[in-house]
Amino acid sequence: MTSEFTLLIMFTGLVVLILTGLPLAFALGALAMLFTLLLWGPNALVITVLQTFDTMTSEVLLAIPLYVLMAALLQRSGIIDSLYRAMELWFSRVSGGLAVGTVVICTIMAAMTGIVGAAVAAMGILALPSMLKRGYDERLALGTICAGGTLGILIPPSVITIVYAVTAQISVGQMFIGGIVPGLLLASLYIGYIVLRTLISPQLAPVGNEAGQADWTVRVRALGALVLPTLIIIGVLGSIYFGIATPTEAAAVGVFGALISAALERQLDAEMFARSIWDAARVSAMILWITIGAKAFVAIFTGTGGADFLLGFIEGLDANRYVVLAAMMLILVFLGMFLDEIGIILLCVPVFLPVIEFLEFDVLWFGIIFLISAQMAYITPPFGYTLFYLKGVVPKSIGMLTIYYAIVPFFILQVLGLLIAVAFPQLVLWLPRQMIGG
Amino acid sequence: MRGLSRLCRVVTAVNRAVAMGASALVVAMVAVTCYEVVVRYAFDAPTIWAIELARLLLGPYFLLVGPYILHLGGHVNVDVLYARLPRRIAGAVDVLTIPIIMYFAAMLLIYSAPLAYSSFAVGETSTSAWNPQVWPSKLAMPVAVVLLFAQALVEWARAVARALGRPDPCAPPAPEKLKA
Repeated sequence: MTSEFTLLIMFTGLVVLILTGLPLAFALGALAMLFTLLLWGPNALVITVLQTFDTMTSEVLLAIPLYVLMAALLQRSGIIDSLYRAMELWFSRVSGGLAVGTVVICTIMAAMTGIVGAAVAAMGILALPSMLKRGYDERLALGTICAGGTLGILIPPSVITIVYAVTAQISVGQMFIGGIVPGLLLASLYIGYIVLRTLISPQLAPVGNEAGQADWTVRVRALGALVLPTLIIIGVLGSIYFGIATPTEAAAVGVFGALISAALERQLDAEMFARSIWDAARVSAMILWITIGAKAFVAIFTGTGGADFLLGFIEGLDANRYVVLAAMMLILVFLGMFLDEIGIILLCVPVFLPVIEFLEFDVLWFGIIFLISAQMAYITPPFGYTLFYLKGVVPKSIGMLTIYYAIVPFFILQVLGLLIAVAFPQLVLWLPRQMIGG
Repeated sequence: MRGLSRLCRVVTAVNRAVAMGASALVVAMVAVTCYEVVVRYAFDAPTIWAIELARLLLGPYFLLVGPYILHLGGHVNVDVLYARLPRRIAGAVDVLTIPIIMYFAAMLLIYSAPLAYSSFAVGETSTSAWNPQVWPSKLAMPVAVVLLFAQALVEWARAVARALGRPDPCAPPAPEKLKA
């Protein structure tokens, strides 16, 4: 059997299996086992299992359950409600203020948690009704929440970032810090758009007059809501940036911070704690089981010379490196329509990595570019996760089609953000290079 | 049928209990990691064991939660086509695909059990400064895949029931969610 033929069968088998609805973890795992056995015999499977034992004790992967737990606790901590009340007091008399405030809260949430669902669901429940009540345009309100909610992918800490860094074998800390500037850039683009749009057509976001009556003492006191999130963000990201703690250690401290916040907000009880613990286990087990099969699957791809074949093919094309980059991005976006981002990273990044290095692109920079495009996948039909999170919480009168239209301008802003990051790699790379100890 | 139904419920209940137990390990991971950070930065006295202990708990933690997630339908899958299938057809597809999970579990068992056993038999240590025995962590793998195999068998029986339009053998008396 020639290697190209083997790979063709393997990838076809994978596509067929996952289309049957078989979980990705088992489709990858079973195929990898079968092909390892057929190609290299039982001894190779022993190596596969030994590699799995390595995965099981990876310090970087240890960060995943910790960050998921932190997010699960913060989501239930009541912090987001306090933030929202403060935002309403301060922003409701500004043109488009509630939408701008929603982006701000999403950014803060993104900097505390690494999970997309948390901000979207909370904003759908809190911000959407209050924007609609004030007569905000449905599309503007929905688009803001969708786009803002996905910021968590890029703004550290982010679980998807950890998976990318582990797969690409680069520093999680640097990868985290690299997401800050592009993440803030996207948030600013959203805010800029909302402000411009509502200045041009004020009827999209009528300025309220009832909530704005609060006096200054109430307003200033409401700012207290910012204290805990600020401490958590500085504690977690600051300790990573200044090399005080590894991302894993920072996560554990973050969990502790989340517990204290929940306790101060009087939301910490046995049931809330148990639910958060279970959420963390569910999400982490789902991700980490995929890594078992994905690692073995990719090992076959590399072992049979698939990587060399791909490299040879791209060298033969003699195309401009940005054309190849665009082609790779298109493949990722296409896969994003069907497949979970975690699965895409575990499968595609090892395949693309030699190509990226051959083209002399920075691996960290490519990761950030990939994460920006992953945000697009999250808000794009037919299978954007964010859309479904949101659909679960919006009033019944709002149909899926309205949500689809709502995201269009924000999708365009994401494309703009992506192009800026491609054109100016320094935006991505500057901050991580300032880090102490990397 | 009553025996089968009972078996379904027992396997699922065992996996649920194991998963709940394993999920609590995260508390220990957080605690020892926080402890390490505190003693290292506050007292300048790093431990040699804390981070390694947390790492050794990671495998048992996620592996032992996996089988019950299978029951909940919590492993990520592509449902572009699958979600559109009529219930009975989807059941029939599951009847065909769930044995693939059993194959995966069986292969992992065959190859991980001897490794875990020899690790225990020779008292293998991690060769780090702390140098603990590592077999408890490695043992999680064969145990988890046995549980996964058992749960896959149960899910297979439920898929057969779905394909035939029969009631879920797992359902009474404790109803569980079909797909989370």
